[in-house]
Amino acid sequence: MGVDIGLEFEGDEDEVSTFQEEHERERHRAKISDGDRERRKRGNGRRKRASRAEEWEGESQARPERRERGRRKRTRSDQEAKGSDRDEEVQPKTKSGKSAKTRKHIKNEKTRKMEEEEGEGEERHAKRKKKHGSAKKEEREEDGGKRTAKEKAQEVKRKKHKKVVETSSEPSEEDDNDEEDNEEREVRPESLSSEELEKLKEAVDERKKLIQTLRGKPWPMKKKCVTLRESQEFVEKYEGALGKGKGRKLYAYKVMMNKKWMKFQRDFENFKTACIPWEMKIKEIESHFGSSVASYFIFLRWMYGINMILFCLTFGLVMVPEALMGRPYGTIPRKTVPRPEATSAMDFAVLWDFGGYAQYSVLFYGYYNNQRAIGWLKFRMPLSYFLVGVGTVAYSYMVVIRTMARNANESGVGDDNSFNFNWKTFTSWDYLIGNPEMADNKFASITTSFKEAILEEQESRKDDNIHLTRFLRVLANFLVLCCLAGSGYLIYFVVRRSQKFALDGLDNHTWWERNEVNMVMSLLGMFCPMLFDVISALENYHPRVALQWQLGRIFALFLGNLYTFIIALMDEINLKREEEQIIKFNITMWEASLYNGTVSVNSTAPAITIQPADVPRGPCWETMVGQEFVRLIISDTMTTYITLLIGDFLRAVLVRFLNYCWCWDLEAGFPSYSEFDVSGNVLGLIFNQGMIWMGAFYAPCLPALNVLRLHVSMYLQCWAVMCCNVPQERVFKASGSNNFYMAMLLVILFLSTLPAIYTIVTIPPSFDCGPFSGKKRMFDVIQETLESDFPAWFGKVFSYASNPGLVLPFILLMVLAIYYLQSTSKSYKEANVELKKKLQTQNEENKKKKKLAALKAQMDLEEARKASSQTAKQQKNSNASQQDQESDEEEDHSSSQRLHHGKNGRHAPPPVREQEGQLPATRAPVPRSYQHEHHGAPGYLPGFPRQSEPRMHRVPSLQRH
Amino acid sequence: MVAPAIALAFIPLLLTVLIRCRFYFVLFYRAVLVRIWKDCATGLSREERAYQYVLTHATPGDPDSILDAFDVWCSKVEFISNIGPKKGKVLDRLVMELSPLTVLELGAHCGYSTVRIARSLPLGARIYSLEMDSRNAAIAEKIIRLAGFDDDTVELIINPSDEVIPRLRSDYGLERLDFVFMDHWKKCYLPDLQMLEGSGLLGKGSVIMADNVLFPGAPKFLRHVRKSGLYEWKVHRATLEYSKGIRDGMAELVYQGTK
Repeated sequence: MGVDIGLEFEGDEDEVSTFQEEHERERHRAKISDGDRERRKRGNGRRKRASRAEEWEGESQARPERRERGRRKRTRSDQEAKGSDRDEEVQPKTKSGKSAKTRKHIKNEKTRKMEEEEGEGEERHAKRKKKHGSAKKEEREEDGGKRTAKEKAQEVKRKKHKKVVETSSEPSEEDDNDEEDNEEREVRPESLSSEELEKLKEAVDERKKLIQTLRGKPWPMKKKCVTLRESQEFVEKYEGALGKGKGRKLYAYKVMMNKKWMKFQRDFENFKTACIPWEMKIKEIESHFGSSVASYFIFLRWMYGINMILFCLTFGLVMVPEALMGRPYGTIPRKTVPRPEATSAMDFAVLWDFGGYAQYSVLFYGYYNNQRAIGWLKFRMPLSYFLVGVGTVAYSYMVVIRTMARNANESGVGDDNSFNFNWKTFTSWDYLIGNPEMADNKFASITTSFKEAILEEQESRKDDNIHLTRFLRVLANFLVLCCLAGSGYLIYFVVRRSQKFALDGLDNHTWWERNEVNMVMSLLGMFCPMLFDVISALENYHPRVALQWQLGRIFALFLGNLYTFIIALMDEINLKREEEQIIKFNITMWEASLYNGTVSVNSTAPAITIQPADVPRGPCWETMVGQEFVRLIISDTMTTYITLLIGDFLRAVLVRFLNYCWCWDLEAGFPSYSEFDVSGNVLGLIFNQGMIWMGAFYAPCLPALNVLRLHVSMYLQCWAVMCCNVPQERVFKASGSNNFYMAMLLVILFLSTLPAIYTIVTIPPSFDCGPFSGKKRMFDVIQETLESDFPAWFGKVFSYASNPGLVLPFILLMVLAIYYLQSTSKSYKEANVELKKKLQTQNEENKKKKKLAALKAQMDLEEARKASSQTAKQQKNSNASQQDQESDEEEDHSSSQRLHHGKNGRHAPPPVREQEGQLPATRAPVPRSYQHEHHGAPGYLPGFPRQSEPRMHRVPSLQRH
Repeated sequence: MVAPAIALAFIPLLLTVLIRCRFYFVLFYRAVLVRIWKDCATGLSREERAYQYVLTHATPGDPDSILDAFDVWCSKVEFISNIGPKKGKVLDRLVMELSPLTVLELGAHCGYSTVRIARSLPLGARIYSLEMDSRNAAIAEKIIRLAGFDDDTVELIINPSDEVIPRLRSDYGLERLDFVFMDHWKKCYLPDLQMLEGSGLLGKGSVIMADNVLFPGAPKFLRHVRKSGLYEWKVHRATLEYSKGIRDGMAELVYQGTK
């Protein structure tokens, strides 16, 4: 083995002469039987060095280092005059681990005290030379003429140290030596010459590079740890020693500060992750239930963040200013509970009905006054109200679109179609799973997905009874449509009925009747998806497709329900506006009568003593809309929580405890525990958000309510998931669907802003409530502000800017820009696809070439074996022949390695890869060693990392010998 | 009162539950309602009715035709929880592969599974079949004899399993059980298994097959198997006999001996 190492190293040293050596080794192979006896003698040493050879294995991976060394070799001729035994200096490296090596390197350069090491290196040289015969020697002399002479001179010394060398093969002793070295070094870093400093710096740089690239190295963990620690120690020790005089101190200081800064940054990162709310909770859930369930909670958290900002906007800019600086409660009619309602204004029902005092507070639109500026700050309340309403929607759009764009970059990398089985094999596992049951489930789901994929492949070829499946699918869709129509009609019916109730007066009806609309909507939203799920079993779709259908259906259901609700609300708004007209007329009559009365009684003015609660007022449709939305949200939240408690918790309790006295196994059998329904929950969240966006303009309290709801549901759902759900049987990947949810959110955002904008633009505000009362339209507030708060020229500029002649070209320009960007991005995408294809074809070609080369190599190997066994037979020494074969194999291994190193040492890898097939007589015993080459090879294709194989395979194969 | 519209909103839930649990409802109807009705109408027990049917429809001495007749009766006429044709195939294959010489069957019921095992046994093998209920045992005896198996092949023991198992070695001179088939009360799976372990009748490589481990299910049994580490085990997933939608499984344990 030692011989082989030497050989390998040789190839490494003289990269340029790879081909030459190739031939040389071939000659050697022919002569192998001659060297047989020698080898037997050296058997001992070989065995001893086997372990070292392993280390070598790993070391050969450190390519940068290797190249570096090669460079140093090339500059050798300059330094030859000074440093005499360069050659030996490198040799010891082969022996010890990485850390020891460079240290030794430096030491040998400078002190040249540890002759033992060198001796050993020398010895190896000698051995190699013995083996290689004269040809090698010639080459060596060619290489450096002086060296042979020097070796001869050191011959004596070598002999002296020979015994030491034999025993010093234990790494511990070497380490001791190294430590001695270090101590020596430490004592006098100042005494370094500039050149030596240079070298030291190089070594330090090398270490740094090693530390950086360590993670990607295919070594065993233990080795990585050791290497990392050693390298860090080395860098720490010598980094400060660099630089001269004053410079050194400064440098050391800089390095220290740098280190401190890095540490601080790391700590800060940790701190930041610790600050992310619910991170640990979500991680725990992720470990139990996989990434898809965790993605729901991450989505929930994201939603919470957005709502937090919406809440801050409405709370800080609308509610608080009004509460602090606006007129206090009871000063004007719109801020007072009217007399007929006063008796029930403090009922407990106010908490969920949001009538009474809650209705006449900052929580709703109607409470706000149309006074232009309030308080000592001259806060423009109506303007602020309007801008906040617009701002929340604009902010939501911005955030959603930005997130979508970011997600779009992340996804879209893998195409699902081309390497289906490969993807499944190598990327199915969810590495975040920390729960054995979940791992079992994941395992099962991967297995089933394989089965399904195979079935799918089979089915794609033969298609039986397409008519039946088609019929079933049509039937299923028909059923679903019936269900949707039924639910839509039910809601419409209920809303109409509720209008009748409203006309009768709400107090005459029970709580059930008053909340019928919300109850029915929530119940339908809860139960219909279950029915869809059952119906979709008819269709026999692939689960992924089925999930999409299911999502689409639930989406349609929710949307239908929501829009039915809105249409009903519109009807109600119209009713209220008619009522308003009547009341307006009545009020003028009332006022007139009041004035008439006062005039008739007395000419002074005591008539002002009318209580604001007694003043007749309009119905204020805006507050009504806000209230409806608040009630909807409340009932929705309640149903969600109650479903959670009944459907999950109660079920879990029943299953758990009835199982002791039931006639079948409830846990494993039929009712079982519930699974977490990711899609349903996400859709619920999205629609809830849509309602918030719709109603937030008329009820500023909605974001606050939603924040509360999300906060509670975060804890409640986390608890419910951990305590009463079981991991899903079919685990879906979360990453793909992320943008799908975002797209849905965007659609909902658009659909929910539509009615809000419609009402704002088309319907005039109520005459006696809200910040826009008295104006024709709500957005008149902007015009008003422009006229009165800005200088005249600004208004002029604005009017010019809003001139269609200016706006149209601007819009045109924008459209053009968008078109341009779109087309460029499309072309980029195409280029990407092209590149990917190119890489793929190249890879395939390379594979073919490698296969050919491997075949060739195998044939060569066979020949060589035959030859060697024949010669062995000639010698009639069966034992020897066996050993020979062994060593032959060894050599083959190492030769292939050598080849591989030689290649890696080159600076332009791609051409090497091209040449690969034509390399003469590559003698790999197995194609396996070719594959190793992929590892970290500079030219390996980034798109196909799956080809590579763990490098560790080679180590056991070497240990065998 | 609750408004009718709210009640209407519960219709989807009702439909869902109906569709989801349709197999259970069917099973309930066939296994319980029909049985009670027929018991009252004919005055015979279910097993006796099955025997009558088999007697009139099967060829004596031909186990296959007897099994077929049973299957037809159980799927078309009434329901008896035999092992059924689908899971029976797993059992057949296993017995064929093992060719055990000593077989213990816990719970013969009507003798369906006894006949099933006995027909694929090698020559010279002997099956000990336990049945607790004497009326069922009488019917099982008749069925077994009808199928053409004599006392040398099948020995029917009319006793509860927890009494018989400790005495197997002394009373019946058994040294080792090659194959054990469990299909009696699901609650007895675990104690019987532990008793078998304690009796020392199980050797390395003995196979234990337990039917209906998922539905009606024997969770404690499975937990014990999982935890004890004495077995190499797997669950053959299938559906409940004579029913399509209810999942069930058979557990196959290979005794590995104490570690």
